Amino acid sequence: MNFKKIIAIYKKELLDLLRDRRTVVSSIVIPIILYPLIMIGFSSMMSRQEMKMEQKEVTIYVQDNLQDEKSEKVLGEFEQIENLQLMQPVQNSQLQTYLDLLQEDSIQAVVTINDSINSAGYEVLQLKIYYNNAEENSSEAYSRLKQTLPEIEKQLVASRLQKLQVDTEVLDAINTESENVAPPTKMFGFILGRILPYLLILMTISSGSVVASDLVAGEKERGTLETILVSAADRMDIVIGKFLTIITFSIITVLLNLMSMFISIRYILIQMTTEVTAVSLPIGNFVLILVIMIPLVTLFSAILLSLSTYSRNIKEAQSYQMPILFTAIILSMISFLPGFKLNYGFALIPIVNFALLFQGILTGSFHLGYFLTVIGSTLVLDVIAVKISLNLFNNEKVLFRTAPEESYKFWGKKNRQNIFTTRIAIILYFAIFLALIYLGGKWQTQEFISGMIKTQLLLILLPVLVILRISKQDTKKALQIKASKPLNYLVVLLGFIPILIVVISVTQLINYLFPIPESYLKNLSEIISMKDQSLWLNLGVIALLPAICEEVLFRGYFLRVFSQKGFWKGIVIVALMFGAFHMSPYRILPTGLLGVWLAYLALKGKSLHLPILAHFLNNGVTVIIDRFGEQIPFLSKLGNDNIPLWWALPALVILYFIYKFMENYNTENVRL
Amino acid sequence: MIEVEDLVKTFKQKDGSRLFAVDELSFTVQAGEIVVLLGVNGAGKTTTMRMLSTVLQPDSGQATIMGYNIKKEPQKVRANLGFLSGDTGLYGRLTARETLTYFGKLYDVPAEKIQNRIEELSDILDMNGFLDKKIDLLSTGMKQKVSIARSIIHDPPVMIFDEPTIGLDILTAKNIISFIHRCRQQNKCVLFSTHIMREAERIADKIVMIHEGKILAKGTWEEFKHQTGLHDLDDIFIKFVDMQKQERELTNEL
Repeated sequence: MNFKKIIAIYKKELLDLLRDRRTVVSSIVIPIILYPLIMIGFSSMMSRQEMKMEQKEVTIYVQDNLQDEKSEKVLGEFEQIENLQLMQPVQNSQLQTYLDLLQEDSIQAVVTINDSINSAGYEVLQLKIYYNNAEENSSEAYSRLKQTLPEIEKQLVASRLQKLQVDTEVLDAINTESENVAPPTKMFGFILGRILPYLLILMTISSGSVVASDLVAGEKERGTLETILVSAADRMDIVIGKFLTIITFSIITVLLNLMSMFISIRYILIQMTTEVTAVSLPIGNFVLILVIMIPLVTLFSAILLSLSTYSRNIKEAQSYQMPILFTAIILSMISFLPGFKLNYGFALIPIVNFALLFQGILTGSFHLGYFLTVIGSTLVLDVIAVKISLNLFNNEKVLFRTAPEESYKFWGKKNRQNIFTTRIAIILYFAIFLALIYLGGKWQTQEFISGMIKTQLLLILLPVLVILRISKQDTKKALQIKASKPLNYLVVLLGFIPILIVVISVTQLINYLFPIPESYLKNLSEIISMKDQSLWLNLGVIALLPAICEEVLFRGYFLRVFSQKGFWKGIVIVALMFGAFHMSPYRILPTGLLGVWLAYLALKGKSLHLPILAHFLNNGVTVIIDRFGEQIPFLSKLGNDNIPLWWALPALVILYFIYKFMENYNTENVRL
Repeated sequence: MIEVEDLVKTFKQKDGSRLFAVDELSFTVQAGEIVVLLGVNGAGKTTTMRMLSTVLQPDSGQATIMGYNIKKEPQKVRANLGFLSGDTGLYGRLTARETLTYFGKLYDVPAEKIQNRIEELSDILDMNGFLDKKIDLLSTGMKQKVSIARSIIHDPPVMIFDEPTIGLDILTAKNIISFIHRCRQQNKCVLFSTHIMREAERIADKIVMIHEGKILAKGTWEEFKHQTGLHDLDDIFIKFVDMQKQERELTNEL
C-alpha cells in the first residue's frame, strides 16, 4: 500500500465525480432543493386546505318538534355558528326529504329535536344529528354542531338549577388540566426511532450506489480501466482509493439529505405547533448516530464496489444493485416492527443490527456490548468485502468481461435435451416458491387438510413429473427410485432420533439468540396444531405426503442438478434451498440441517427411498408429539423445543459413527 | 529490454474447448531497437502485449521487462513500462494537464518534475494549445497525443504501443511515427504492433510476424525479402501464412 497513491486516486475520483453534472445534481442539488420544496409546499397546501374548510358555508335543517322555549334556545345557538345556515322548511315535506338532500350533499346536516322524560322525572331534550361521513363538508358541519352542544347543555342545566334555587357553581366538581410530561426529545426520538433507521439505511445505500456503479463498471464502459491497471499503482491502492471515494460521497450525500430533511420538518412542525420546545431535535443522539453510520457506510461501499467491479457496464452494475437495495430495505424495516430489541444475536446480522442500534439510541437506550458487537461484526464484513473487490481486481476474467452477455436462450434446442441444468433448476425453484406463496398459502388457509394435499401434489410433485415427461426421461431412473442396500435402511432408522435432537438443539440455539416475540410464536403454534383430525389422516398429510413430494423435488431433481457441482457443494446448496423453502428465517438453519442429512442419504445410498423414509420419520414424530406429547415425558421435551443442550453431544457422536459406517459400507459396493 | 520466452495464453471458449490466443511466443527487444509485432486482427498481438503489461497472466512461459519478471514483480514491470493501446482511454472530465499530473503521481514522479515533464512533452507533441481543456472536448488526434504523453510521463526505458495509429488521420499518424523514431534515438526499447504492413515496413528494425498465436517469422525486412524472393511485404506475409498452413497440414497427415 502506498498512501500517496491512494490519496492521488481518491482526489482524482472526487474531482471526476464533482465534474459529473448528473452525479452532482442527483446526489447534491436535488436533496438540498427537493425536501424543502416538497415539505413547504405540502404544509402550505395543508394549512390552506384547513382554512378553506373553516370558511366553508354549510347548510343544515333543523326539525323542531317541540317549538318551545328550550328548542328556541338550541336554534339560537345554532344560528350563531359562523358560516352555518339554517334551512327554511319546505312545505309538506317529511324528514326523509331532508335526509335525501343530505345524501346528495345539498345540505350538510339534519337535526331533529324531541323531548322525553328521564327516570328521575326530568325533561330531556333529544337531539338527533344526521350527517354524511362520506362528505367532507358534512363532517365539518357535524363537528361544528357538536362543539356547541356542551355550551347549550350547560345553559339548560343552569336555568334548571336556577329554578331549584341552587348555585350553578355546584356543577364544578372536577377541574381537569392535562400536561404531557414526556420530554419533547424523547417523544420526537420515539417517532424518529421508527422511521430514521430505515431512512438512513435507504439513503446510505442509494447514495453510494450512484457513485459506485460509475467508479469501476463506468470505467470499464468508458475504456479507462486498463489505463489505470497498466500504471504503476498497486491494485490495492486503486481499490482503497475508490472505496474511500464511495464512502466520502455517501457520507456527504446522507448528511445533506438529513440536514435538508430536518430543516424542512422543523419548519413544518413550527408552523403547526406553537410550542417551539416540542420540535427541538435530539442533537446529541444525532451526532452519535452519524458516527455509527460510518461503519454502515463502509459496509455498503465495499459491497457496492465489489458489484461494480464484477459488472461489465453501469447498467449491469445497477441491475445487480437492485436485489441488494431490496434486501436492505426489507431488513431495515425491522425497526417498524414492535417487539424487536437489539441483542447479541441480532448484533451479528448486517443491516438488522444497525436498524435496531439506531432505534435504541434514538429512544434513549444504549448498550456498549451490543454496540461493540455491531461495529466489530461490520468491520469483519468490511474487510471481507474489500478483499473480494481486490480479488476481483486481480481476476482478469472479470476485468476483461466487457463483451455483452450472450442472449438468453431458454427454449433453445440445446436445453431441450438436458433438463438437469442450473438455470432450469433455479427457474423451477422460484416458480414453485411463488406458487406456494400465492396459491398454496391461500389453499391452506381455506381448508388446511385439502389445501396441504393440493399444495404437495400440484405445486411440488407435479412440476417435476411434468418436466421429466416433457424431456422424455424415465421417471424412476431419473429420480433414483430404486432399492438401496439393506443396511442403509437401518441407518435411517437409527439416525433419525439423533438428527432430530441436533435439529431441535439448533432451533433452540436460534430462538435463544434471536428471541421471537410471543405474538408471532402463538400464531405459529395455532397453525400446526390439529388435534381434532384423525391420527392417520395427520400422518398421511403431514408426514407421508411431504416426504414423497418434497423428496422428489429436492433430493430427486434439485440434488441431481446441483450434485454435478460436487458432492458436498450439491448437498449444501440443496439444503439451503430446502431451508429457505419453509419461508421463515428462523427455520432456514434447522431445516437446512435436516436437508443435509436427507441429501447425504440420497447421494450416498444412491436411492430416493432413504430420504423419503427419513423425511417421513421426522415429520411423523412431530405428529406423534403433537398428539401424545403430554403423556410421554421424552416426547414432550422434544415437542416443546426444550431439551438439554448436552443431548446434542451423544447425538453428534452417533451421527459421526453413522457417517463412518455409510462411507465404508457404500464405497465397498463401488469396488465390487 | 524485453525478453519473451515461450509465452502461452489460452482462453476458454463457449463450447468448453481452449483457444490458444498466444502459443509459445519468444522474441526479444533490445534498447534502441524498434520491434514490430505484425499480424492480422485476432493474431494475438494485443493478448501478448497485455501479458507484458501484467494485466493478463500467462498460462505458461515467461517474460521480463528490464529484468523484472512479469509474474513475480508486476509493479516494477509497470513502473518501467509505458503502455499505450486502443483500450487505454482517458478520463473525459479531466483536463490534459490534470490527467498527466495524475498519472505522474501514480508513476511516483516527484511533483516538481511532473510539471517540467509536462512542459517538455507538450512542446514535443505540440499540445500547448489544449493543455487546460477537458479531454472530452478534444479531437481524436489531440486525445491520442495526450495518451502518448500519459504513457511516457515517467520517462520509461521500455515502451509498448498497441496499434497506436489506428483510426488516426495521416498527419497525426505521421506525428506518432516520428515520435517513436525519436524514442529510438534516446536509446529506448520499443515494441509496436500493427496490422498495416506499410507502417511496419517504415518503422521496424525487426519484425515479428504472428498468426493465430504462433510466430510466422522473425527478422528484418531485408532478411524476409531474401528468404522468400518477394518484394512486397503484403505478399511476403501471405506467403508465410501459406507456409504455416502447409506445415500444419503436413503434421496432421502424419
